[in-house]
Parts: sequence; C-alpha cells; structure tokens
Amino acid sequence: MRGVEVRGASVRLGNVQALDDVSLSVEPGRAVMLVGPNGAGKSTLLKVLLGLVRPDFAVFEWSGRASRVDAQWKMRIGYLPEAVAFSENLSGLQLLRFFASARGVPRSRVGPVLERVGLSAAARRAIRGYSRGMRQRLGLGVAILSEPDLLVLDEPTAGLDQEGLGVLWSVIAEWRESGRMVLATTHDLALMERRMDEICVMREGRVLARGSAEDLRRSARLPHRIWLDVEGAPDARVELLCDAMRKWGKGRIERVGSRILAEVPADETLALVEIQSGFRGVVAGIRVEEPSLDVVYERLVGAA
Amino acid sequence: MGRVGRALIWHELLERTRDRWVVVVSLLFALLASGVGLYGRGAEAEVAKLTGPSLVTLASLLVPLVALVLSHDAIVGERERNTLGLLLSLPVGRFEVVFAKLVGRSLALVAAVGLGLGAAFLVSDPGEASALLALIGPTLLLGLAFLSLGLLISTLMSRQVTAASVVVVVWFCLVFFYDLGVLGLLVATDGGLSQQTVSALVFGNPAGLYRIEMMNAFAGPDALRELGIAADLPGDGASAMLWGLWLLVPAGISGILLARRKVV
Repeated sequence: MRGVEVRGASVRLGNVQALDDVSLSVEPGRAVMLVGPNGAGKSTLLKVLLGLVRPDFAVFEWSGRASRVDAQWKMRIGYLPEAVAFSENLSGLQLLRFFASARGVPRSRVGPVLERVGLSAAARRAIRGYSRGMRQRLGLGVAILSEPDLLVLDEPTAGLDQEGLGVLWSVIAEWRESGRMVLATTHDLALMERRMDEICVMREGRVLARGSAEDLRRSARLPHRIWLDVEGAPDARVELLCDAMRKWGKGRIERVGSRILAEVPADETLALVEIQSGFRGVVAGIRVEEPSLDVVYERLVGAA
Repeated sequence: MGRVGRALIWHELLERTRDRWVVVVSLLFALLASGVGLYGRGAEAEVAKLTGPSLVTLASLLVPLVALVLSHDAIVGERERNTLGLLLSLPVGRFEVVFAKLVGRSLALVAAVGLGLGAAFLVSDPGEASALLALIGPTLLLGLAFLSLGLLISTLMSRQVTAASVVVVVWFCLVFFYDLGVLGLLVATDGGLSQQTVSALVFGNPAGLYRIEMMNAFAGPDALRELGIAADLPGDGASAMLWGLWLLVPAGISGILLARRKVV
C-alpha cells in the first residue's frame, strides 16, 4: 500500500463510541466512498484523517511510512466540508486568494480553478449572491486549489445541479487518472457508484463491508431480477415455461402481464436462461437487473 | 507566525471591514464623534474644552460595541458555517488561529476607531488636537479588551445567535449598568464596602478603568480626589498590567479552549 492508511482508529465522544477500531486505506489512483446511516462515523473518520478529531487511538501511514497528522500531512490533503457556507461578505475570488496564500499556492492558479469549477463569471460577486450549488462548487475549488494528493469530500453532491455534478465527476476522474486519491462520504449511492472504485459501508462506528460495488452485491446475496418478454406467445406455452421454471425451484417466478419476472440468485442466472432456451419462440427478449446499490446497502446495514 | 496565520490576519481584516454591522456601528461612531467635534468648534473656549471628555463618554459607549460586534462570531461563526474545520485542516495550530483572528480583527478595530476619532479630529478646534490625540491609545486599549472578551464568548457559545445575544448583555452590563451596580452595592451594604473594594470594582471593568483614566487625563487628579478615588488610581505599571490582562486573558482562554477541544 503506497497511499494513505489509518488503522485501528477509535474515538469515544461522551457515551458514544463514534469510531470503534476502524481501519481504512486509499490507494493511489483509487476513489473510496464511505456510506452509512447518520451517526455511522463517516464524517468522524474523515475528521480523524484531517486532524479535526483527536482519536483515542489510531495509526497513520502515508506511502507506507508511519506518520502523524502534522503540517506536512495536512499539506497533502484538500478538504470539502459538508454543507460549507463561506463568509457572505467576500467574493469567490477573495476567498480563493486567501486559501491560495494560506497554502502557498501562486495567485495565478486562482483564475484557472475558478474556471474549472464554473465560477469565472461570478468570481467578483459577493458570495451572498451565490446559490447553494455555486457555494458547493466554490468549496470544491478550495479543495483542489493546491492540487493535493488526497481529496477528502464530505457529501460532495449535496446541492449540486447537473453542471455542478459534471464538474465533480471530472475532478474525481482527473484525480484517479493522475494516480491521486479521493475519499468521499455520501448518501447518494446511485449517483456516486460509477465514479468510485471502492465502497466502505459503516454503521455505529464500525466498518460492515468493503469492496467494489460488485463485491458488495455478491456479499449481500440478493437475487437478480430477470424479465422475460413473452408478448405474442401462446398462453399455454408461456404457462408451460413458468411451470418448468417453478419446478426448477431456484427462485421466485411470477407472471406480470406480457412478461415473466424471475428473481433468482446471481449464480443461477445462466441456468434460468438455459431453461427458457428449451421453449423456442416463447421468449422475445431477456433483461437482467442487478440489485441496485441502494438495496444492497439496505441489506448490509439492515443485517448488521 | 506561519504562512496560514499571516494569510488569516489579512483575510479577517478584509472580511470584517465588509461586514454591514461593523460598518454601521463604525459609521455611527464616526458620525457622533464628528458631531461632538463640530459642536466644540462652534462653542466658546470653555465649552470647547469639553470636546475631549465628551468624546470619552461617546467612545466608552460605542467602542466596546464596535469591538464586540467585530469579535462575537470569530469562532462560533466559522463553526456554524462549517468553515472552522476547513480552516483547521490547513497546516496551522488552533492557538495560532485564535491569535491570527485576534490580530486581524484588532486591525479592523483600529480602522473603526481611527475613522471615528479621525473624523472628530478633522472637524474640531485645532486647539483641541493634543487632547484628541491623547485619546487614541486608551480608546484602542478599551476596544481591544472588549474584542478579546468577544473572542472568548465566541469560543464558548455553540450558536452565533446566542453569541450575539450574550455580547449585547455583556455590553449592557459592563458599559451601561456596571456603575449603577456598584452604586447599588454601596447602598445595599449601607456603605459597608471599603474604598479599596469600590476602586477595585471600578478598575476591574475595562470601561470603568478607561473612564477614570480619561477623567484623570482631562480633569486632573483633583477631580478624582473629590470622588475619593485618587489614592487608588493605578499607576502606569499597574494600569498597563490591567489592560494587558484584559487583552490577553480572555483571548488566551479562548485559545486554550479551542486547543483542548476533541472535535472541531
């Protein structure tokens, strides 16, 4: 592992164990998404990495070397807080100039960053007049200003319109392609799924599951939904096909108008397709639906 | 101070001088101060000499208000906007953030006080110039003491609206009602309080200390002697120490509180 790693992070806040022996790593070129219900410990874990929460215990590594959350560590991270609301008295340009000075970034980089997040035209306007999405894009601009090795994004999709989402996706893609890292929390699983490499499901301060979307689907053991289009086929032949599939006994078979819905385990999908192939001329088309990540998430969190 | 701290000082100055409440209170101070200056200019010599003391009265009321308006949201405002975490995710210590905020907002206070006293200076009788110049230092100290107090309130409160309410109460208590409170205490104890205790109560409040020091500067020790507090007037060293405590202790506690916080 040559990226960022935190091991055994534990944080107790009053009577609540906010993090309980949590380990997380982000490898170069990878984007990791933290998901979980409110209070799962996602933001606390991000804040431990940023030095905003002092853990009772945690071991930090960067590029395989034991490290501390010190100035050098912080210089390598760009952060977008959740629902950030910058001072309304300043303009976007003034705000970015401050963060450029604070991070030792040349002022000449401020303009291109404003352009990147689509705020060039509004750069000299007071933030007071910015919409929620514009403020979020400004926050993203602050996060990427110093070209950090690790982008930490807390609920980055909140308040973003299509244009803003486009900016976010392009930033995440650029960080992955350039071998840098992204760590994000979200409640928008469906929206983020395709942009992230790994998903880490948390609940009550613990990691429940971790892996790619496919890994999680497998581990959730949820059935695939297979739709067989039987429109125009003789009713008797359709019933015969249904009977054959029911006798097979590996899933739930239901006739829905001119279609048959079969819910079968993922590894039995091919077997079902083979069964229907014995009934020539009955099935006009097949559509396989994987369980959505939201359903997988609910299963994982609900089962814990 | 590191790069982040230095950048934060200028950021705070810029941000505060664009705050509408800061601008309104500063302009009000400047307007009233220039009114006092103009009145003194048109009056006879005896009345003109009252320009300085009148400005002291005005400054003792408004400068603490300017300072509290400037500082009440320093920490709690950042926390409420979710920018405190962003600020502290930069390579900067928590104590340094408090210090940079104190310095940046102090510069804004200097601008506000400069605007007020400068306006009075420009319109008043040239003969009163030295008296007005003598006001600058103590008036700034008064403002800085309240600025530091506002910073502490900002660190202690969890909501900006609560901090705003608390600073209004503090302003009323320390600026308006404090002297009445001391008088009430004297009446309640039927004069049982020693002169030293009364003096300590008066000098323990930065607004009281400012008024007494300015009274001494403009009216001389005879006036204080008539009030029976000349003997207890702190010397230069003690006065500097009192102002230093008012400036550093609240801000210091603010820094310690933020530095000790487990979660920001």
